[in-house]
Amino acid sequence: MHASRRPRLTIALLAALWLSGGRAAATEGEAGSESAGFEPIARLLAARCLGCHAGADAKAGLDLTHRDGALRGGEGGPALAPGDAEASPLWERVRDGDMPPDKPLDEADQRLLRAWIDGGAAWGAEAIDPFRFTTETRAGYDWWSLQPLAPASPPAVQNESWVRNDIDRFVLERLEAAGLAPSEAASPRALLRRVTIDLTGLPPTAEEMAAFEADPGDAAYEAIVDRLLSSPQYGERWGRHWLDIARYGESNGFERNGPRDHFWQYRDWVIEALNADLPYPEFVRQQIAGDLLTGGTEGAAAVGFLVAGVHNTVVGSSERMRRLARQDELEEVAGTLGQAFLGMTVHCARCHDHKFDPIRTEEYYRFIAALDGIQHGDRDELPVRDAAELAGVAEALAVVEASTRELMGTAGRRLAIDAAAGPAAPEPRLRWSFDRWFADDSGRIAGEVHGGARIEYGALVLDGARAWAASAPLNFSVGEKTLEAWVQLDSLEQRGGGVISLQFTDGSVFDAIVFGEREPRRWMAGSDGFARTQPLGGAEETEAMDRPVHVAIVYRQDGTIAAYRDGAPYGQPYQTGFATFGAGQAQLVFGMRHSPPGGDRMLMGRIHHAQFYDRALDDAAVRASFERGFSLDRAKLLAALNDVERAAFASLEERRGELQSRRDRLLARRERLYSVTPADPEAMRVHVRGGVTDFGPEVSAGGLSAVTGAAADFGLPAGAGDRERRLALARWITEDARPLLNRVIVNRLWQHHFGAGLVETPSDLGFNGGSPSHPELLDFLARELEGHGGRLKALHRQLTLSSTYRQSSRLRRDAFEVDAGNRLLWRASPRRLDAETLRDAMLQSSGALNLEAGGPGFRDVELLSLNGTTYYLPIEADRPEFHRRSIYRFVPRDGASALLETFDCPDPSVTAPQRTATTTPLQALSLLNNSFVLAMSGRVARRAEAGTESREAAVGRVWELIVGRLPEDVERTESAALVERHGLAALARGLFNASEFLVIE
Amino acid sequence: MIWNPWDRRTPRRGFLDFASRGLGATALWQLLAREEGVRASDASGNEAPPQPRIRRAVQICLVGGLSHLDSFDYRPRLESHHGKSLQSDEQPDIFFGQVGLLRKSDWTFAQHGESGLWVSDLFPNIAGVADELTVIRSMVSDSANHTPALFVANSGFQFNSFPSMGSWLSYGLGNESDALPTFVVLPDGRGRPNGGASNWSNGFLPAQHQGVMFQDGSRPVRDLFPADAKAASADDDVRAFVSRMNRRRLDQAGGDQALSARIESYELAARMQSSIPAVSDLSQETAETQALYGIGDEATDDCGRKCLLARRLLERGVRFVQLYSGGPIGGTPRTSWDAHEDVRENHTAEAGRIDQPVAALVRDLKQRGLLDDTLVLFTTEFGRTPFTQSASDTVGTGRDHNRYGFSVWMAGGGLRPGLAFGSTDEIGWKAVEHPVPWHDFHATVLHLFGIDHTQLTYYHNGIQRRLTNVHGEVVRGVLA
Repeated sequence: MHASRRPRLTIALLAALWLSGGRAAATEGEAGSESAGFEPIARLLAARCLGCHAGADAKAGLDLTHRDGALRGGEGGPALAPGDAEASPLWERVRDGDMPPDKPLDEADQRLLRAWIDGGAAWGAEAIDPFRFTTETRAGYDWWSLQPLAPASPPAVQNESWVRNDIDRFVLERLEAAGLAPSEAASPRALLRRVTIDLTGLPPTAEEMAAFEADPGDAAYEAIVDRLLSSPQYGERWGRHWLDIARYGESNGFERNGPRDHFWQYRDWVIEALNADLPYPEFVRQQIAGDLLTGGTEGAAAVGFLVAGVHNTVVGSSERMRRLARQDELEEVAGTLGQAFLGMTVHCARCHDHKFDPIRTEEYYRFIAALDGIQHGDRDELPVRDAAELAGVAEALAVVEASTRELMGTAGRRLAIDAAAGPAAPEPRLRWSFDRWFADDSGRIAGEVHGGARIEYGALVLDGARAWAASAPLNFSVGEKTLEAWVQLDSLEQRGGGVISLQFTDGSVFDAIVFGEREPRRWMAGSDGFARTQPLGGAEETEAMDRPVHVAIVYRQDGTIAAYRDGAPYGQPYQTGFATFGAGQAQLVFGMRHSPPGGDRMLMGRIHHAQFYDRALDDAAVRASFERGFSLDRAKLLAALNDVERAAFASLEERRGELQSRRDRLLARRERLYSVTPADPEAMRVHVRGGVTDFGPEVSAGGLSAVTGAAADFGLPAGAGDRERRLALARWITEDARPLLNRVIVNRLWQHHFGAGLVETPSDLGFNGGSPSHPELLDFLARELEGHGGRLKALHRQLTLSSTYRQSSRLRRDAFEVDAGNRLLWRASPRRLDAETLRDAMLQSSGALNLEAGGPGFRDVELLSLNGTTYYLPIEADRPEFHRRSIYRFVPRDGASALLETFDCPDPSVTAPQRTATTTPLQALSLLNNSFVLAMSGRVARRAEAGTESREAAVGRVWELIVGRLPEDVERTESAALVERHGLAALARGLFNASEFLVIE
Repeated sequence: MIWNPWDRRTPRRGFLDFASRGLGATALWQLLAREEGVRASDASGNEAPPQPRIRRAVQICLVGGLSHLDSFDYRPRLESHHGKSLQSDEQPDIFFGQVGLLRKSDWTFAQHGESGLWVSDLFPNIAGVADELTVIRSMVSDSANHTPALFVANSGFQFNSFPSMGSWLSYGLGNESDALPTFVVLPDGRGRPNGGASNWSNGFLPAQHQGVMFQDGSRPVRDLFPADAKAASADDDVRAFVSRMNRRRLDQAGGDQALSARIESYELAARMQSSIPAVSDLSQETAETQALYGIGDEATDDCGRKCLLARRLLERGVRFVQLYSGGPIGGTPRTSWDAHEDVRENHTAEAGRIDQPVAALVRDLKQRGLLDDTLVLFTTEFGRTPFTQSASDTVGTGRDHNRYGFSVWMAGGGLRPGLAFGSTDEIGWKAVEHPVPWHDFHATVLHLFGIDHTQLTYYHNGIQRRLTNVHGEVVRGVLA
C-alpha cells in the first residue's frame, strides 16, 4: 500500500492546507501581491508548463514565469493575447493537445486556462517561482517536510483504556478508523528482550527475564527503561545507529585505503555524547563546528563527522583530476550532511537543479561553500581543560620572557661597544622570527599559512604532511642569493622536506634547503628536477632533533653553490647552472620543497628563524650570522649584569624552568586525532554541470532557501573564512532549520524502535522519499523533543512506555489482510538482530563479552601494505580484546568481517540510514559453521557445564544463556537427544540458529 | 504481501528473494519489464523491453590495463612513427606524467579466420577463435587510476559501494539455480585485485546479490562447512533441531513470512553444501577437456581451472561469473597487466597464463551449444599509451595508463561475430570513431540480457539508482 505515487499527492494537498496557515516569509510577500484569482493559474503553469518554459534557457525561448515573458513569447512570437484565447498560441497548443507534450491538460484545467485568458490574463506582480508549488513530478516550497511543525493535539479515541500516552492516541485513532484493534500486550519476556536490545543492543539475562516475569507491572517496566537508558551500553547501541549514518570508517578507501589510526575518538565522542544525553541540536552543532566552538580533543573529535567518509589520496597528476576529486569530496560531505541532519538530498543538485526537490544548483554551491574549508588530516590536541591550563602557562611564560628580554636588553646596551668590535653580522633582506605572525619581521612581505602550519613558542611548526607557509610574491628580482635558517627536525629519517625555498609561484623552478632527499640524513641544495643539485658530501645530520641547527646555502652568479652548517662549510661547494627569479614571479616558502604541497616535499619539524639575502655571503659573513644567532650569547650577556640583576635573572630562569616543565607535561598529553584540518577556502563558484572547466557566478556560503526562506542567506562575503562559514552553517541547521532537524531525528528514533520510520526513508523527507504514515504524530514528536530540551532519552522513554510499543508481534490474519506492511502499527514488527547485535549477543551468552569501553578498536584484520596500498586480511583469535562489543571493532573499508558482512553490515563507504535485513542461505551457512559461532558455542557449553551439577541442568542452562528461558518438555527431550550424540556445544550451536534467538519479537 | 516485488522504491525487508525460483527462463525482471514497458509505452511511447538474447555471462577481467596496441588494435602508423615524438602540447591524464617517444608493438599482427579480424601473436589461441569475437576498439574510461578505473568498469561509478554489474544482474534476473549463488567471483590465484570485494559488492542492493567468492580447496565458499570435524559430524542433527524449533515458532508467531523464508534458507544451505563441492570438482571432466584448458601446465593451470569452473557454474544455472586475470597492483615482479616497466616481458608472461584457457572456454561453450545464449566478456580497466613511459627523448620499454582508448571483446548470443567496432586514432591513443564509455558497455550487456538499462533501478539515498547512472546508450553497432 505504501510508496506508490498516489498517496503522495494527498500529502501534497495536505501540505497545501498547512501552507494557508502561514509559511516562511519568502513566499508570503509573493502570495500577498497576487490577485487571488491568479493563484490557480500560477499553480497550473508551475505544475504543467514551467518545467520547460522558465528562466534564461527556457525551451523555445518562451518564459512563462512572468507576464512580460508570455506576452513577448518565444521563437514562435507572442504566446498570449489577453482577452482572446483563440488568438493566443498558448491556448491553441493546449487545445490541440500539443502542449504539455506528455499528457494534455484535462478538461477542467483547459476551461480554467481559457477563461483566464478570455478574462484578460490578469497576472500577479511577481514572477512565478517554478519551485513554488508541488506538482505531480516534483516537490515545491509547499512540500510537507518544509513546513513549520503543525500544532497537532492528540486526537480522541474510542478505546481510552488502551492509551498510556499521547503517542497511543495518534496510533489508535488511525487503527480505529481502519476498523482494526491493536494487538494484545507482548509477553513480559518478549517485551523485556525487545526493550533491552532496543536500548542497549544486548539481550537481557535469564535472571532479568525471571525477575520481570515475576513483577511485570508498569512501575517495574518504567524502572527497567530508566535503568537501560542510564546504562553505558545505551550510548554504544545508539552510537552504532549514528555511526551508520556518519559512514564511520577507519581507512581512506579508494586506491590506497590507508588506515586511520586515530579516528576512534570520533566514535567515542558519539557514544559519550549520547550517554550524556547532549541535547540533539548541540550534538549536531558540535559535529559541524566543534573544533571552532569547543576546541581541544573534544571539538576535534566531534567534527570527525565531516571527514568520516572516504578520502582520495591518489588523485592523479593533472589539475583537472585534482579539482574533480575535491568536488567529489565536497559532494560526499554535503550529501551526507544534508541527509543525516535534514533528510534532504542536496547533493542531487550538483549538476543541475534538483530534479525532485526545490533546490537550485546555485544553492548546492552555496551549501558546499560553507564546507569548503574542510580538509582531512591529523591534529594534535589537548583536552579542553588542559588546553586552558596551557594557555595560562603560555601567558605566564610570555611575562617571564618579556622581563628576561628587558634584562638582556640592558646587558646588550652595556655590551654595545664590545659587540661592535666583533665581526658585523650581515643584514638580511628579509627575516622571519616567527614570533607572532607569518609575515616577515618588517611586516612588509605578507605571509600566508596552509595546512595547519602554526606558530608555537617562536617557531613555525610543520607536520610533514600538509603544513607550509609562504611569503607573498617578492616585488624585487633575485640573482645571487643566500638562504639561511635555524631548523629543528622531528625525525632524521624523513626524506625530501624543504626548509626554505625560493620558487616560482607555480613551483616549477626552485632553489631550496632540503633534508635527506637524495641521501638520507644529509642536507642538500634542492632544485627543480635536480637541475642544480649535486651531492655536497657533507656529514650525516645527528643533532637536528635535539637542538636547532643553522643551515645556509649560498648561490653565486657563476653557478657556485656552497652550503654551511652551524656557520662552517658543509661538504664541498660545486659549480652548476644558475637560476634567476624575476620580480613578482617568485616567493619564499617554508616547510615545503616546492609547490604543490604534499608527497615527500613537506618538512616535519620547526623553523625557529629564517633569513633571506639577495646577495651571496662569503664564509666569514655566514659565520658571523651564525655566531650572532637569533639571540645573543647568554654567557656574555650575564657577565654584563650586576648582582641584583643576576639574582633577578636567576629567579626568572627558575620560574621559566617550572613553567616550561608544566608546559611540556601538558604537551605530552596531546593526543593525535584524525579530524578536520581547516584551511580558508577560496571563493566558491557554480560549477556548470558539475564539471571543473566551466564556471558560473561566484556564490557565498549559505543554506537551502526551501527549508528556511531568507534565513538561508548567511550574509557572508564570498571570501569569508572557514570559521565564519562553518559557524553560520551550524547555526542555520540547528536553529533556523530546527523543525526539519527535529522531524528527521524523531523519525530515526521511531525507526529503530518500531522497525520502520513513520517516514520509511529516514534520510530523505523529500519528494523521492516516503510519505509519513502518521504526519500529525511525526510533528507531535518533533514538538515533544523541543519540549524535552532536545534530550533524546526523554523521547526514548515516551516511545518505549507507550502501549503501541508494548504490543505483541504475533501476526493476525484480520489485520494482515488490511495492512500487511504494518504501517498502521497494529502489532510490533518482528526484526532480525542486526549483525553487531548478533555477535554481541553470542559473546554475552558465552560469558566472554568484554565490556571495556572506548579507546582504539580491536583489530581482527592484519594490515598488509604493498606499494602504498593497504590490504586488510581477516585474522581469528580468541583473546579478550576480540571479545569487546562490535562497535569497538576497527572498521577499515573493504575489511569487513565475514560474519558481520553476511548479516548486512554495510561497508562504511556511504551513509547507511537503514540496514537491509536479508535472509540468505549464506547466512545459514555462516551461522552454522563460522568459526566464531563454533567458538562461542564451545564457551557456552563450558560455562553451562561449570555452573551446574547434572547434564540435565546443564542443558537448561544452555537454554537460559542463549534464549533466556528453560526449555519446555518437548524441547528438553530434543535437546537431550542432541546433547547425547554431540555434546552441549552442538545444542548451543543449534540455539544460536533458532529464530527465537535471531529475531526480536 | 509484506514484500511487493513491483515496488522497488524501498529496500526489501525480511524477505528472501525466492520469487525467481521456479520461474525458470521467465525471469523476475522480465515480468517486471513487461509491466513497466506497457506502462511506459502508454505514457510516452517508449520502446518495449528488448528481447533477451542471453541468459548468463562470464567476464574475464584483466587487472592492470591490457595494451590494446599490442593485442587487438592494429595501428600500422605506430610502426612507421616508432621513435617519433607525440607532437602534442597536451598534458595527458596518465599516471606518472612521463611522455616518452612512440613505440611500435612488440608483437606481430595478422588477420585471422574468415572474418579477417586483426589479432596479434600475443594471443595465438584467442586468435584461433577470432570469428567468435566482437571487438570494441574504442573504449574510453573516466579514470586513469587503477582502483577507480576498475570500479567504473564494474559498477559505473569511481567510488566504493556502488553495486557491480553482476549484482545488478542478480537483482534484475534472479537465479536459475536454487543450489548455487547467482553471482560467482573467481579471483586470480595470486591474490585479489585492488579494491578487493568492493569490486563485486552489492552496494546498496540486498546482500543476496553480492558476488560470492569461490576459492581453491575443500571449502570453496567460506563457512560452507565447519572447520572442525566434531562440529561437522553434528551437522545434520543440528540442522534438524533448528528446523523443529523454527517450525514450532512459526506456528506460535501466526505464520510469519520472514520466518518461513529463514526455514527455507536452511534447506537451501544444505543443498549448497552438496552442489558447491560437486561443481568445484574438476576431476569429473575428461582428461581431454582438462588438457584443452591447460590444466596441469604450470603457466595456465590457475586460469585453466577457473575457466573450466566458470563453464561448470554457468551450466548449472549461475547467472554471472567474474574471473580475474591479475592480482594486486604493485610488487615485483608484477602480478597484473600493469606494464609500466616492460610491456614485452610483462604481457608475454600474463598472456601465457590466460591465452589457452580463455580460448578453450570459448571453444568449449561453442561446442556444447552454450555460446548461443551465453555472453563471454573480455575486459580491462584501461589500455596503454602509444608512447612509452620514459624521458621525452627516449623510446622506453614500458607503457603508461591510457583511458582515452582501449579494446575489449565480447562473444556469444545476440552479437555480430568477427567484428571490430569503433576505432582509435592512427597511433592508437584516443578513440575517435564510436567512443564507448563503460556506461554504454553496461547498457549493451543489459540489453543482451533483455533489460532496458534505464528501467533497472533501485531507490537509494534520494535517487533511483541505475548501473548506468544517468548515461548509457546501447551500442547498436555490435548487435546482430
